[in-house]
Amino acid sequence: MAKATILHTKLQRTVGVFTCPSQHKHHTKYIMCTPYSLTFELTKENRSKSRFAITLSFSSYPCRCRRNHRRLCIRRLQSTRSSEVMGKKRKEREAQSDDDDSSKSRTKRTDSDKLVVKPQLLPSMIKNKDKRSAVYAKIKHEKKVEKRKNAKAREALESRALELGEELPPKKIPRTIENTREADETVCKPDDEELFAGNDADEFSSILTSERAPKVLMTTCRFNSTRGPALIKDLLTIIPNAEYYKRGTYDLKNIVEYANNKEFTSIIVVHTSRREPDALLIIGLPNGPTAHFKLSNLVLHKDLKNHGNPTSHKPELVLNNFTTRLGHRVGRLIQSLFPQDPEFHGRRVVTFHNQRDFIFFRHHRYVFETKENKQIDANDKSKDTEDGKKQLKGKIIARLQECGPRFTLKLTSLQHGTFDTKGGEYEWVHKPEMDTSRRRFFL
Amino acid sequence: MPRTTTVESAGCPPLRALTFDVLGLIKVTEARSKLGGVPKVVERWGEPESSRCVLAASTNDRKIDPLLAVARKSGVIELISSINGDLRVSLPSGNQADVQSQEDNIVGLHLFKKQTSESSSRSCTLLTCTTKGLSTLRSLTLPKSPGDSTSDDDQVTWNVCAAGNVLCCKVDDNENYALFGGKGVEVNIWDLATHTKIWTAKSPPKNSLGIFTPTWFTSATFLCKDDHRKFVGGTNSHQVRLYDMAAQRRPVMSFDFRETPIKAITEDQDGNTIYIGNGSGDLASVDIRTGKLLGCFLGKCSGSIRSIARHPDLPVIASCGLDSYLRIWDIKSRQLLSAVFLKQHLTNVVFDSHFNDEEVAAASGPPSEPKEDDELIERDEESPPIVKRKKKKSKSRDVDRDDDDDDDESHSVKRKKSKKSQNVDEDEDDDADEGPHSKENKKSKKPKNVDKYEEGLLSVEHEKLKNVKDRKSKKSKGQRVDLE
Repeated sequence: MAKATILHTKLQRTVGVFTCPSQHKHHTKYIMCTPYSLTFELTKENRSKSRFAITLSFSSYPCRCRRNHRRLCIRRLQSTRSSEVMGKKRKEREAQSDDDDSSKSRTKRTDSDKLVVKPQLLPSMIKNKDKRSAVYAKIKHEKKVEKRKNAKAREALESRALELGEELPPKKIPRTIENTREADETVCKPDDEELFAGNDADEFSSILTSERAPKVLMTTCRFNSTRGPALIKDLLTIIPNAEYYKRGTYDLKNIVEYANNKEFTSIIVVHTSRREPDALLIIGLPNGPTAHFKLSNLVLHKDLKNHGNPTSHKPELVLNNFTTRLGHRVGRLIQSLFPQDPEFHGRRVVTFHNQRDFIFFRHHRYVFETKENKQIDANDKSKDTEDGKKQLKGKIIARLQECGPRFTLKLTSLQHGTFDTKGGEYEWVHKPEMDTSRRRFFL
Repeated sequence: MPRTTTVESAGCPPLRALTFDVLGLIKVTEARSKLGGVPKVVERWGEPESSRCVLAASTNDRKIDPLLAVARKSGVIELISSINGDLRVSLPSGNQADVQSQEDNIVGLHLFKKQTSESSSRSCTLLTCTTKGLSTLRSLTLPKSPGDSTSDDDQVTWNVCAAGNVLCCKVDDNENYALFGGKGVEVNIWDLATHTKIWTAKSPPKNSLGIFTPTWFTSATFLCKDDHRKFVGGTNSHQVRLYDMAAQRRPVMSFDFRETPIKAITEDQDGNTIYIGNGSGDLASVDIRTGKLLGCFLGKCSGSIRSIARHPDLPVIASCGLDSYLRIWDIKSRQLLSAVFLKQHLTNVVFDSHFNDEEVAAASGPPSEPKEDDELIERDEESPPIVKRKKKKSKSRDVDRDDDDDDDESHSVKRKKSKKSQNVDEDEDDDADEGPHSKENKKSKKPKNVDKYEEGLLSVEHEKLKNVKDRKSKKSKGQRVDLE
C-alpha cells in the first residue's frame, strides 16, 4: 500500500509525503493540512497540474498510473498526528453548514465525506445499470426538491418583505452569454476624444451631419427571382430616397462608378442563392467602406401575421448595442442609409438590434395609448397584480405593430474602400481562428 | 471544442515602437520589463485631424538626436524628434505648390541616415516621392530653434515615371540607390547621386492562357544590406517577385501568397528571409532563396497589414494596419507576443532601437557580467526615480554610423563599456578629453553624466533637453556642475 510519512509538523500545518506503490517519482504528493484547508500538491515537476489534484476528493484520489489505487492511505493519515486537526475541521464545518445555500452545502458535504473512513462510492462506479440509474434518479429527485425548497424560501422572503413594506431582497441576475462577455479593449468609451475625432473624419460624417442627403441605389445579383425582388420591394418602402436599378449584366465595379457619377451615397446589393436572399452588400460612396453581411431568417412583409402597412414617412432609426469600434463603424454605415431627420408623426421605427454579433432587423409602427381600458380586464383576471396596476392607471403606453420584413444579418467582412474583391484591403474579416470562445463578440 | 491558439507569451522584450495613424497621431508604445513586458502607450503626439493623416514615415535611428520624418496628407513634411515629439522642421507643401496636390499625395519618404556633409550634424537629407512620380531629393539644415526658418541647401526634383501611380519607394541600405514601383509602373532603380535611372524591370510574360496581368506593385524592399541588386516586390495580384539586376530584367522567381494584395514586405537582416503582409491580415515569413513559406504568424489579425518593422537587435517584428492593433511577434516561434489596441487605422510603425529601460540594460547585454548588473541596480536605488529614457539613449555614441557592418559588434561592446564607464581607453571614436571625466565618474558611480557631457558637446538641442531633466534630479545636477 501507499505510504504516508509526516515530514514536518508546525502549529497548524502538517506536511506529509505520500507515495503511491508504483514507485513512480512523479506520483509523489505533498499533502498539506491546516484547520481550514486540505490541499494536495504534486511534486515540483508537475506543480502546474496541482489545481486538478485539489479538486479531487481525498478518499477517491485516482493514481495516475491508472491502476486501481483509489483507496489510498486515509486511515494511515488519520492515525497520524494530523488526524486531530482534521477532526476539528470537520466539526467546524458541520457547525457552519446550516446557513449555506444549496450548492455550497453540497460541496461541504463532499468535503466532510472525504474524512469518512469508508471510501466513497460514486454512482458511476456501480456496474449494474438498474441500480446505477436508480441512484441517479434519486440524486436528481433530491436536487429537484432542494431547488423547489429554495424557490419557496425566496418567495416567502419576498412576500414578507412586501407585507412589511421593506425593501425587496435583491433579485439575482441570471448569467447569460452577453453579460459574461469577454473583456474587450475595443469597446468604445464615451469619454474618448479620439473616437469623436475619428467620427468627424470618417466617410459618413458628411451624411450624418446632413451636408449630403442619403440617396441609395438598390440592385441585385445577376440572377434574381421570387423572394429577391420581394425583399427589394420591401426595402424600397423602408429606405426613403432609394432607387432600384436592374442589375443586367453590369459589373459591380461599373455600377459603383455609375452611382458615383449620379451622386448616390450608398449602394445596397441583395444577393440571392437558389431564389432565397442570402447576402447583403452595403457599399458607402464615394470612398466609404463595403460591408458584407450574411442574411438569414427572412420573413417578408406579406408573410407576417397581423402585419401593418407602413406610411411613407421618414422612419426613425434605432441602433442597439453596437459597442466596439467595429460595431460603431457598422452602425454608422447603417445610419448613413437613412435620412437624419425622421418624421416623428409618421410613428414608424426601424430597428437594428445587435445581439451576439447578429444584427436583427425589425420594422414597426407604434401608437401611444392610455392604459385605462385594459385596466378593468386585468383586475378581473388576477388579483395579485392589482396593486401594481392601479399605480399604472392613466399611464401612457406604446403599442407596437410589426410591418415590413424581418431578417437577421451577420457581418462577414468590412472592406476598406469600395467593392473590390481582388485588390481590396479589409478592415475586418472573420477568420475561423478568431472563434476561440463563444463569449467573444466583435460588434 | 473551441479552437484555441496558445498564448504563452512571456511578454515583450523591452522595446519602443512608434506608430502613425490616419488622424495624424503619433503614438509611442513602450514595453518595459519592469511591468512584465506588457507594452503600453506612453505618449501621444499631435492633435487628431484627418488632413494630418500620416502617409509615409521614416526614421533616422541614430543615437544622438534621432529624427522622424513624417509626410502628412496635406503635403506637409515634418521632422520630429523621436525622443519627445518636438517639431523640429515643418516643410510646407508649397515647394511644388500645386492645386492638384490633393491627388498627388506623398507615397514614399526616406530620411537619410548618413550625413552628406560631415561638417554639421544638423543637416539632413530627405527623399520624397509622390503618386504622380515626382521625386525630390532635398537636403536641409535643421534650425536651432523650431521658430527659425530652414535653410534649404539644395533640392533636386525629377520624374520617375511618365504615367501610372507610384505606390512604393525604397532606398537601399547604403543609400545610393532608390527603387520605385506602382500601378502601371514597373520597378525601376535610380542612382541617387546622379539622378539617373539605371535599371527597369520587364513585366513577366503572359501566362499559359495568354492572359497578361497588368503591372501593379504595391510594396517592395531591398533584400540584402550591402547589395542593391536584389530586391523583392509584392503585387496587387498577390504575387511576390524576386528580382536580380545582375541576372535578368524579368523576375528571377515569383510565387503567390494567399488571395489578397501584398501590402507590406520587410526584409530580415540575414538577407534571405522576408516578411510579407497582405490585405486580409495574413502575415508570413518566407525564405526567398527557395520561395518556401517558413510559416504564418497566427494571431487573430483581421485587418489589412500596412506596415511591418523588423527590430534591428531583438528577434522581434511589429506589424500594424487597419485593424488598429500594433502586434509584436517573435520571429523564431512566430508567436504573438502582445497586441496593443491603438484606436485608429494605423499606417506605419517604426522601432526605436536605442531604447533601454534602466534595469533591463543589463539583462539585454550578455549575462556574463553580474557585476555590472549589481552596479546598475545600486545606481537605480540611489538615484531619484525619475525615469530618464533619454539618458539611456545617450550611453555611447556611434558617431560614424556609415562604417561597415562588422563595426557593429565593436560598437555594442563599447556601449556596454561606456555604460560602466570604467574604461577610459576607449577607441578612436571617443574624444580625448573624456578620459579624466570618466575616471571621476568611476569613483562616484555616476557614469551616465559623462555621456551626457559628451552628448552636450555634440548636440546643443539635446543638451537643452538634458538640462530640463537635470533640474528634476538634484544629484545629477550637482554632478554636472562638477564637470563643468
